[in-house]
Amino acid sequence: MKKRILFIVSLLAWAGLMAPTAAKAEVPYETYSYNYYSETVAQPHVYLFEETLSFAGFETPLKNPQDMFIKGDDIYIADTDNSRIVKTNTAGELIFEILCADGEGDPLSKPQGLFVTAEDHIYVADSGNGRLVEYDENGAYLRQIGRPVTDLIDPSVIYTPQKVVVDKDGRIYVTAYGINMGLLEFNIDGDFQSFMGAAQVSVSPFEYIWKNYFSTKEQRARMATIVPTEYSNIFVDKSNFIYATINNLTNADMVNGADAIRRLNPTGNDVLRRLGHYPITGDIYKSEDNKWSSFIDVAATDYGCYFVLDNANGKVFGYDYDGNSLFVFGRNGYREGNVQNAVAIGINDDASVIYILDYQLGSILTYSITEYGQHLLDALRLSDSGDSEGSINEWKEVLRLNSNNEFAYTGLGKNFLANGEYKKAMEYFRNGNNKKYYSKALYYHRKELMEQNFGKIMAALAVLILIPIVVTVVKKIKKWAGDVKCAMSEK
Amino acid sequence: MRYVREIKYGLHVIFHPFDGFWDLKKEHRGSLAAALTFVGIVIMLMTFEKQTTGFLFNTVRLKDVNVVVDVLTVTMIYVLWCVANWCLTSLMDGEGNMKDIFTAMGYALIPLILVRIPMIILSLGITAEEGTFYYVLDVFSYIWTGILVFFGTMITHQYSFKKTVLTCICTVIGMGIIMFIGLLFFNVIQQMITFFTTIYKELRF
Repeated sequence: MKKRILFIVSLLAWAGLMAPTAAKAEVPYETYSYNYYSETVAQPHVYLFEETLSFAGFETPLKNPQDMFIKGDDIYIADTDNSRIVKTNTAGELIFEILCADGEGDPLSKPQGLFVTAEDHIYVADSGNGRLVEYDENGAYLRQIGRPVTDLIDPSVIYTPQKVVVDKDGRIYVTAYGINMGLLEFNIDGDFQSFMGAAQVSVSPFEYIWKNYFSTKEQRARMATIVPTEYSNIFVDKSNFIYATINNLTNADMVNGADAIRRLNPTGNDVLRRLGHYPITGDIYKSEDNKWSSFIDVAATDYGCYFVLDNANGKVFGYDYDGNSLFVFGRNGYREGNVQNAVAIGINDDASVIYILDYQLGSILTYSITEYGQHLLDALRLSDSGDSEGSINEWKEVLRLNSNNEFAYTGLGKNFLANGEYKKAMEYFRNGNNKKYYSKALYYHRKELMEQNFGKIMAALAVLILIPIVVTVVKKIKKWAGDVKCAMSEK
Repeated sequence: MRYVREIKYGLHVIFHPFDGFWDLKKEHRGSLAAALTFVGIVIMLMTFEKQTTGFLFNTVRLKDVNVVVDVLTVTMIYVLWCVANWCLTSLMDGEGNMKDIFTAMGYALIPLILVRIPMIILSLGITAEEGTFYYVLDVFSYIWTGILVFFGTMITHQYSFKKTVLTCICTVIGMGIIMFIGLLFFNVIQQMITFFTTIYKELRF
């Protein structure tokens, strides 16, 4: 008997030792999110590593690629150090490559960015030559757009375009190295229009006075210059809004929660919704290697979810339309599925695959969505399009797979609120830790209770008011009766 | 019956502090037992409040509620204040003895009970926009208590207004000193215990 127990115990111990290692070996990163109490909470995986596209079939392998564009099955890569643009597909076949601006001569020089329009025209930020080049769908040269003609840029500044996007109306937006007045906006003909969406500088009055009136020239020279931030990358969504990431933030900026990403409307105002519990700066704590998140690229869905790539820690941050942090996954490292130096992120049309371009590996890593992730994104998509029935079902599925998901509770609560089930809505908002909507639901619930019990409440009030009145009146009558009696007896 | 009368007398004290605290001491209309009852209720209220305040106004996570910490917080502050106050006032010609101080301070806590219990009920029924009412009451309960503590000290010791202000400031400093000495004491005891255990171990092996 004793032996048998010992055997079972050892068996259990062995199973306990083996099980976690077997499960962990599959995915080389964690997926988590932050809850209301600033704690990291593990989540089911939203995206799982699928494969590494290393383009082994290419004659010259990719060398330090800086940008990519995903369009259906096609992948366009700005192969920077080989000074070429490559069009390939998810199978890794080379479709064509572009080496020159115009036919044979005029080679490209270190292109750092590219964009593909709806008509498959390719815009290339030919950084080394300081120009933009447009090609048609077959890679044939169409035109080039040179240095913007304007007095606003100092002639001594070398114009180095880095990233380019073209919106639906053909306006071209460019980020350029060393130009921090915002995005350069060109019209459809390639004429420079203006700067757009300049990052605002915030200088404290103390800092300003100190710098301008009390410091010596040497001190001033050693101080960091107060300049607006440059955008690290841009992405244009289906409604002509531009997502722009910022990554040269200071430690103080990160602690205070400066904006590391913006959503610019066509007039250049930031309209990103920041209704989440935390500022949209990636991780709310420094990583194990003592690094803050550093946003290098962003990709957005039609329904306002966006995925931001963090170059410092190799993570992807998923945010919903309101700016809630939905999930975080990925990690820097050397295991298959980890990144070393991620520079660009892309998604396919339904966001079921995330592509990450690794500058150091010279390859693209693909991550495909899990069942849980699909439910999560579907729920957000359906509630965005107003299909409350559908989104309820999806949120329920999300909760089935992860009962810790606060957004699912909030999402369901919103639906109950819209359907007039206020009590239930309150319960769900409470579980989702959403005070704002809880307050709204409480307001309607209270109103409903008041209306239902109006008679009882009024009766109670009336009784409360009447009792003292009756008592005083009775007392007065008694007193009056007594007075009368006295008067009578005196007579 | 006497005890109930002493408890009821609290209502008189909080609305008529000058008169109330005087009679508390001279006429023995209240007692230490009643005062300690109020302290006990405040302790219970602390925990109860954390658990029952409505979701919108509850800043405490239920997971983090620790009854022992609540009990110690209230008791520590109450006892420290009274002891520091007694230490000071016995040097500064205060007329109250230790029992008078404990009794007066216990009665001074009544507004916390009277205001904060309705606050809990209110917090369940109001929305975030109406939260101002809640926060006004919150501040009000503390101000009222503060005023009572101040006048309680003033009347128990027969002090002038100025002297009371000075005493209150010094009491707070005194509380800090007591805590500091307490920590120092524990530290020294700890060192001593370590020292003797080390000697014991050395001798044994």
